[in-house]
Amino acid sequence: MIPRIFLIAALLASSAFAGDAPKMKMESVRATPVAADPAAGKKLYQRWCTQCHGDEGKGDGPAAEFVYPRPRDFTLALYKVRSTPSGQLPTDHDLFKVISEGLPGTSMPAWNKYLSENERWQLVHYVKTFDTLGLFKDEAPTQRIAMDSPPQITPVLIARGKELYQSKKCWECHGKEGRGDGNKADTQKDDWGFPIRPVNFTKSWRFRGGDRIEDIFRTFTTGFNGTPMPSFVDAIPAAEDRWALAAFIKSLARPQKTGQVLRAIHRDGDIPADPYAKAWEDAEFVDFPLAGQIILDPRWFKPAHDVITARALYNDKEIAVLVEWDDGTYSRGDGNKPADQVALQLPVTISADEKPYFLLGDKKHAVDYWRWNAKDGLARFAAEGATRMSPRETGALAAQGGYKDGQYRVILRRPLKSGKEDEVPFEPGKFVPIAFHLWDGDQGEEGLKMSISTWYYLLPQPKTPFTIYLWPLGLGFLALGGEFWLIRRVRRKEKPA
Amino acid sequence: MQRWTFHIALCLWLAILAGFKLLIRPPMPASVLTIYMVLVTLGIMIFVAANEARFQAFLAPLKAVFEGRAPKLVQALVLAGIPLLAAWGTWLRTAPSYDAPFEARVVHPQPPLAMQLSGKKLNLAGLQNPLRANAADLDKHTVEGKRIYYQNCFYCHGDALAGDGHFANAFTPIPANFRDVGTISMLQESFVFWRVATGGPGLPKGAAPWLSAMPVWQNFLSEDEIWKAILYIYAGSGSTPRTWEEAPKK
Ligand code: HEC
Ligand code: HEC
Ligand code: HEC
Repeated sequence: MIPRIFLIAALLASSAFAGDAPKMKMESVRATPVAADPAAGKKLYQRWCTQCHGDEGKGDGPAAEFVYPRPRDFTLALYKVRSTPSGQLPTDHDLFKVISEGLPGTSMPAWNKYLSENERWQLVHYVKTFDTLGLFKDEAPTQRIAMDSPPQITPVLIARGKELYQSKKCWECHGKEGRGDGNKADTQKDDWGFPIRPVNFTKSWRFRGGDRIEDIFRTFTTGFNGTPMPSFVDAIPAAEDRWALAAFIKSLARPQKTGQVLRAIHRDGDIPADPYAKAWEDAEFVDFPLAGQIILDPRWFKPAHDVITARALYNDKEIAVLVEWDDGTYSRGDGNKPADQVALQLPVTISADEKPYFLLGDKKHAVDYWRWNAKDGLARFAAEGATRMSPRETGALAAQGGYKDGQYRVILRRPLKSGKEDEVPFEPGKFVPIAFHLWDGDQGEEGLKMSISTWYYLLPQPKTPFTIYLWPLGLGFLALGGEFWLIRRVRRKEKPA
Repeated sequence: MQRWTFHIALCLWLAILAGFKLLIRPPMPASVLTIYMVLVTLGIMIFVAANEARFQAFLAPLKAVFEGRAPKLVQALVLAGIPLLAAWGTWLRTAPSYDAPFEARVVHPQPPLAMQLSGKKLNLAGLQNPLRANAADLDKHTVEGKRIYYQNCFYCHGDALAGDGHFANAFTPIPANFRDVGTISMLQESFVFWRVATGGPGLPKGAAPWLSAMPVWQNFLSEDEIWKAILYIYAGSGSTPRTWEEAPKK
């Protein structure tokens, strides 16, 4: 722990500094609509917040060890999501917004689902009472940053933002493609002394400050207090420039597209070995959300990865799955850290009404386990549960993978059928269960310390046969014929009259 | 007014269809929608046909098209539109779909009469939560249970016990929502104990034990701790267990 006195000094210094840098348009803070009722606030806090933030607001509740990032220690009054300049306290409305909407990408929930507006205001008041330095009393913010309405997002604006991203060196931490893999990314620490990683801009659903362009603008205008993520008002004083940068960051976002079925599309020619080939870029992708492996011992509560993206292609001979995931660190098992890994799990045989246990199979139902490792490449196992994994010949299974700009892409391919009993045959139209496991070596992930998914399906999608157009065509023509018959009939009847 | 009978009927039909499609959440299955729309069509037709003059007024625009009296553009649109609609409707029904196969799963299967707990046999029939016996200590046990819950369960079952923890979206089936009346508040504590102690793999075949991410808690928690966690999930979600007396007679 850092000596408290040092932190206080730093805090005072930074707020004093922010005080004489009025480059931004300011406006007065809105009034707090609900008065404090300390008894009610305490009760709510003890009911809903202590497990993480601790009885005394020190961020040391019983669940604190098991979540990343750690729950906030309120005693130093350092807040990330604010509408006030760097180093200053948040407004009551800022706290209300955070408590109501939560912090995406962390365990801090959105309480508007469970607590009434009045209850959330009581919590705002109560959280402020943990401020041991009395800052909320002495330096309560009266002014906040006024924001104009955002400009129209245009390609020109985004291009301007991209230039600023380069010239203002955001990439040093956030990486060239914004995947949080910059050269300074590995060494960052927050004011509490914990390692902290820059945000991956493609995963905008995890932005704690929110991912609307206004939110992004606000985040790097105000900075996140207590973290290496500074305010950029001094470096980028013109609001237009900050809007351009916000527009660029927003353009990096790739929203998630989840699904139950990974469809492999048929190709007439070869399946490219280059994961950046056009055929792969064009193939439909599905994002599969991942969670920490907290089911078998040893449990892993703070997984590095939360999603894996997959695409699949097949031709008359083979099927290939391309998995891709972002990782800010390229770990090939150097030093004493394990290497990054990915694994695909399939049943060994398919039965109509049963599957193997979703996590590494069970005694009666084995799984076929394909694992690619950044150091050793492909390995294949048969597993009948986590403790019964045995290596097997890779056979005709092949893998190629690589790392570029903060992202892994690995292709695993296999002939459709081997004719042997020990692996599932792939046939167009037949669903094959599939599950994914992922490891980040830099975070010490190996063995059961990993991110997991439950079962999904891989489907070689049949080529669309010509016959399926026959029914609609047939019925269309039938209707046409009917019409002509009717016309002839009514007109013949008309004539004599 | 009667002149417009056909148009009004058509607009009404479309409005009802749009209402079903857009206003009802979650969207109703296609088969149900078809049944409703058949009923709506019949209803409108019966109303129209009930009065001879109205029926003739309804038919008039159709006759005009088929007899060639309507404006050329209207004729062309209607005559081309009907076969196209027919073809499109059939396509919607016959086009191949690649949705995941539907897997039936019994959520609350019949529990066994007895279960294995760390090697010893435990009878489930009539089993009560032993920690409820002494009312004086109940609060203490519940507080303990809260700690156990937030160190073991909330990742999946959520902070507010609503089945929406920060890992929940990675699991299918989704973790149980303890605030929902369809979960623990309709179950006996003995059933809940069995489910917690034996987890997903303890389920019978009809409940697809291979899918559930619910861990086998007897591997991590003592019998006492499981009962404490159960006290908390009831207290925390504001529900009460079903008692043996309330149980349906068989
Ligand atoms: C499951 C754990 C958990 C619970 C329960 C929880 N929080 Fe948090 N909270 C967090 C974490 C983790 C952070 C910090 C995230 C970060 O630093 O990015 C946080 C941050 C905060 C912040 C600081 C936001 C900022 O802008 O810096 C406030 C205020 C807060 N929580 C209030 C509450 C209140 C009030 C409750 C109870 C209603 C509550 N929290 C319950 C985990 C939790
Ligand atoms: C010294 C390293 C560093 C530099 C340089 C840097 N950042 Fe950051 N940034 C971080 C860290 C670390 C975080 C995560 C803070 C946290 O976890 O609380 C972050 C977070 C952010 C977020 C927050 C997303 C959210 O969660 O809401 C935004 C937006 C952002 N940075 C934008 C920028 C922009 C724009 C630049 C360049 C002008 C920049 N950063 C430069 C380290 C840096
Ligand atoms: C890894 C995620 C996970 C964790 C951790 C977890 N559960 Fe579950 N739980 C589930 C899932 C998924 C289901 C729904 C599927 C099922 O019925 O097995 C479930 C179902 C249940 C049910 C059955 C409810 C019903 O209506 O049948 C109970 C009771 C339960 N969990 C209690 C607990 C308790 C108590 C803990 C902590 C000691 C816990 N769970 C931890 C995932 C989890």
